[in-house]
Formats: sequence, C-alpha cells, structure tokens
Amino acid sequence: MQRNTFYILIGCIALALLAIFWYSIEIHLPLLIIIAFIVAIMVIYLARSRVTNLIEDERDQKITEQATIRTMQVFWVAFCAFSIGAAMEILHIPEFPRMAPPIRPPVLLPPRLMGYIQLGLLCLMIFLYVGFRIYYARKYGEWDTDEE
Amino acid sequence: MKNKIKIFRAMHNLTQEQLAQAIGVNRQTILAIEKEKYVPSLDLAFKIARHFDVNIEEIFIR
Repeated sequence: MQRNTFYILIGCIALALLAIFWYSIEIHLPLLIIIAFIVAIMVIYLARSRVTNLIEDERDQKITEQATIRTMQVFWVAFCAFSIGAAMEILHIPEFPRMAPPIRPPVLLPPRLMGYIQLGLLCLMIFLYVGFRIYYARKYGEWDTDEE
Repeated sequence: MKNKIKIFRAMHNLTQEQLAQAIGVNRQTILAIEKEKYVPSLDLAFKIARHFDVNIEEIFIR
C-alpha cells in the first residue's frame, strides 16, 4: 500500500467514525462507537504495517517517545486527581461514631458531569500530545530546510 | 554533536536523499544530524561511517 493511499484510508475511517459517533448518539448506544473506535484503530495499525514507502527511523521514534513520555507525565496527574475524587464518591467517606453526622449525604457525580470531565480529560490528552509532538518535532529538525 | 557528514557527502557526490536511502532513514534525519539538532544512535553512526568507509571518529567529533 502506498503512503498516500494510507492517508486517504485514515481520512475515510475518521469520517466513518464521525458518522457512527453521531448515529450512536441518535440511538443512545455508546457500545456502538466504542466497538467502532477499537475496530478503526486496529484497521489503521494493520494498514500502517502494510505501507511500503513509509520510513519510520530512530528520529521519528525518538519524537514519538519523548512526546508520549511528556504527555503521560502531565496527564497522569490530572487523570489520577479526577479518579481519586471519583473513587471517593463511590466508596463514600468513612463515618466515625465520634464525628458529627454529615449535614447532607454524599452526592454521587451525575453521569452527565462525568461525561464532561471525561471529555475534558480526552481533549487535554490530545492537546498535550499534539503540543509535545510539535515541540519535539521542531526540536529534532522536522521542518528544517536546506539548500538541496 | 559536530560532524563532517556534509563534507563526506560532497566528497562522494551524494545528496541527503541518496545517503538517507542507502542507510535506511529519512532525509530529514540526515539534515537534522548535519545541523546538529539530532544526535544519532551508535548504530546509525556506525552505518554512516561504514557507508563512507571510514572510522566513526573521522565523521563525528565530540
């Protein structure tokens, strides 16, 4: 498979995912987009392994590696902070007999709010990765030009 | 890391693209090494040196 064909395939998959995402919202079936997303990623990985004129050398791997490490270093803090908070909501705060009864019972995070927070975390991860990738690609001369 | 890849390329009349193809990397990698923006791995450094049939110390200078 040629590199350009691969890029066209990615575009088609992205469009299909968008349509499936819309449809799954319409019929209120989140499982559909979850399965479609996993299948799409598997198809992309499979297609990528069959691209003939796509060279990924050690510098590309270094850029990916650095961007991923930096993304994880920042993202895990935000993710863990939210997860710990959510876990507290599920497990409830232990009530000791000598403590005064709570004024109001603990309220679980509503699903809509959870969705917004998850969306925020997803956007944060994407922005962090893209930002770090651009930074490291620039650092390692991805867009440099020469007289040749 | 300072290097003499550009000089060796000129001596062998090679373009960045030709050298990149010969050692199995992208042209941008050769350019980044020449501009000292990327330090190649030992493996890649040896490949470049072998391609020009010289010792690694003759191309890469610390």
